[in-house]
Amino acid sequence: MIFSSAVFIYYFLPILFLCYFLVPKKLKNFVLLLFSLLFYTLGEPEYILVLLLSCLINYFFGLLIEKKGKKRYLIIAILYNTLQLIFFKYTNFFIDNINLLFNINAQKIPIKMPIGISFFTFQALGYVIDVYRKRYKAERNLLNFMTYLSMFPQLIAGPIVRYSDISKELKERKVTFDTFAMGIRRFIFGLAKKVLLANTLGELLKYLVSSSVLTSILKPIIFTFQIYFDFSGYSDMAIGLGRMFGFTFLENFNYPLIASSITDFWRRWHISLSSWFRDYIYIPLGGNRVKKIRWIFNIMVVWFLTGFWHGASWNFILWGLYFGAILITEKLFLAKYLEKTKVLKYIYTLIIIFFSFLIFSSNSLGDITSELKIIFGLSKAPLINKEIIYYLRSYLVIIIISVIGSTPIIKKIIIKIKETKFKKIIDIMEPITYIMLLVLITAFLIDESFNPFLYFRF
Amino acid sequence: MKNKIITLSFLLYIFLFAFLGIIIKDKEISYEERRTLSLFPQFRYDSTYINKLEKYVLEQFPFRNTFRNIKGNFSYKVLNKLDNNNIYLKDNYIYKMEYRVNEKSIDYFVKNINKLRSLLTENNKTYIMIIPDKNYYNGEDLFLNIDYDYLYEEINKLNISNIDIRNILTKEDYYETDTHWRQESLDKVVKELSKELNFSYQNVSYEKHSYNNFYGVYYSEAGIKRKPETLTFLTNEVINKAKVNYLENSQLQTVYNINKLGGFDPYEVYLDGASAYIEITNDMAQNNRELVVFRDSFASSLTPLLINYYHKITLIDNRYISSNDYKNLINFDNQDVLFIYSTLVINSSYSLKG
Repeated sequence: MIFSSAVFIYYFLPILFLCYFLVPKKLKNFVLLLFSLLFYTLGEPEYILVLLLSCLINYFFGLLIEKKGKKRYLIIAILYNTLQLIFFKYTNFFIDNINLLFNINAQKIPIKMPIGISFFTFQALGYVIDVYRKRYKAERNLLNFMTYLSMFPQLIAGPIVRYSDISKELKERKVTFDTFAMGIRRFIFGLAKKVLLANTLGELLKYLVSSSVLTSILKPIIFTFQIYFDFSGYSDMAIGLGRMFGFTFLENFNYPLIASSITDFWRRWHISLSSWFRDYIYIPLGGNRVKKIRWIFNIMVVWFLTGFWHGASWNFILWGLYFGAILITEKLFLAKYLEKTKVLKYIYTLIIIFFSFLIFSSNSLGDITSELKIIFGLSKAPLINKEIIYYLRSYLVIIIISVIGSTPIIKKIIIKIKETKFKKIIDIMEPITYIMLLVLITAFLIDESFNPFLYFRF
Repeated sequence: MKNKIITLSFLLYIFLFAFLGIIIKDKEISYEERRTLSLFPQFRYDSTYINKLEKYVLEQFPFRNTFRNIKGNFSYKVLNKLDNNNIYLKDNYIYKMEYRVNEKSIDYFVKNINKLRSLLTENNKTYIMIIPDKNYYNGEDLFLNIDYDYLYEEINKLNISNIDIRNILTKEDYYETDTHWRQESLDKVVKELSKELNFSYQNVSYEKHSYNNFYGVYYSEAGIKRKPETLTFLTNEVINKAKVNYLENSQLQTVYNINKLGGFDPYEVYLDGASAYIEITNDMAQNNRELVVFRDSFASSLTPLLINYYHKITLIDNRYISSNDYKNLINFDNQDVLFIYSTLVINSSYSLKG
């Protein structure tokens, strides 16, 4: 199931609210777990056992690692989680490449990837590693642990929530009108980002089929905005839903498209993933407290894995290595020069980001080179064509809203107005705006075809 | 206080629609959208069930048409989009953007026509008339169209007498909300046909019958509210007395099926809509000439106006019937054979049977 669906908004949520807020406190986690499992089962009925097994195994290994303190139990737990991920996500990729390398024809396995496996596996890995490092005590209560690992707001597309961030709330949490309303705000904004912006930009991309230089330049730019609103919208919804049930998840995005360098970008984009790789791969490899050559190696390993995490395909690996190389360049010398510029650093960052999403969205290396040829005028494609003019005109307002929406301008304006005598107008308008957005979102859902989230692939 | 209002209004909103969704009786048919709607799917333990459930909830959503109107109006008026789901509005007309010429489809069409020609004899005289879709007349260079020049060039390669009516039609000859042309505007097409098919055009008078609640197929897709338009069908003694034999509907023996006026698609009043094989005999004819029309739905409204000039007209809609199924019904000899297809069908021709 996805959040931006009528079944979720109008049936799953109301029934969950009724059950959750009517049962006594001690049953709340049970209700949350039950609905989380139902949420997963409705979307991925074949793999509910994979999730349950992951919960049980990591729960027991957590306890075992804490009790025995032996590395071998940690290694077994890491192996279990990693092999589970490799099996479901990467087996066919390896078969494909072995076939290609040795010119053989080994059969692919008829398997599809369980939704969200990349996210809950990383949460489980972080948990067992932290228990081994004695960062916190293993969770004794199986119900609480299962609620943590399978909690539906963050189950299938993150953010990757650390156990330490919500361990207290798993035992004791409070929902007030203030926290609940905060959750509603985030949830509706997230829904609006996904349904009104990301889906509409996705529709625009689908229409751009005739080649022109301008089309090839604009496609990765539009895709960047689409994936940003899609994924950050999902994170907003997850954070909002968490708040409605008394959980505080850390932020996953912080206006990444206004970053002043790629280093800055990765502090703002998919924060829970980059901090996971930092804490569980980069630092254990030695981080930057090693010789320069080893440090470069560490960074490239981390970014190879980051790319590969996004999908079992070479373009994702290239995408990761591309960022690794740029981050190294920035850290070695480029950052110093960029800091001195006022505007150039933003333009530089955006160009690097847009190009990265050209790699990200391509199906093959051939696709990337042919798009580059068009962009640099090395093909027969015209500079501009009727199609791109039409669609730019048609989607101009959406594009402008997307550009403004990717910056904190509106937020800042509202804060400023709140400091003036017009605060009352904002207070009156706010609830009306949410209902209007919900009506609009529902109208778009009704009129649209089914649009699954982009990040479900990962 | 504000947070209480936000919380309560949100809860009220979602609970209200959930409640309405449960108590409002499911509709099997949407006349506004001209289609059947999903009913509650029987539970199955598989990953497709949730999609079926979502489709059902969306299709049976309370005030669905109002929500579709909100989306349509928001797209056109607030987002300033030129089209909504490829539907665009201009001067009260609703158009569906038919974009990108489908070269493979045109190739398939040409091959299909050649297959049909192989059924004919040397005595048959063949003609082709391509009907431009309404977009051809939108009077605007902005919207994306198919490459008509390419399409006509490819059709010309068939080497059949091509009756080019592009210059005699205008957008007013089409319905505002539908894909089709208006029967009452087609006299000039008959005149044009008379020149090529060599029959003497007569200034025939007709009695006009109006249906004032016509919403065309594009209206159902546009997601906007507007007034219905008038659909007119023409009768006279020749049309009224014509004997009509529908292969699939032996009950019906008239040119018009007025029962269709209150249905999904009132345009089906003309020759019963989608009919695979129809024979029309005109005993009042002054000659023995016969006409065979291979056609799509545009011919349904045109053909009644041709009855006057032929003793017998046979209509074959080869989207619904293949030659194996009608070869025993017709004996090709010296009939005039007219291929009438709209650019819409030519650009999406895979349903045509040989």
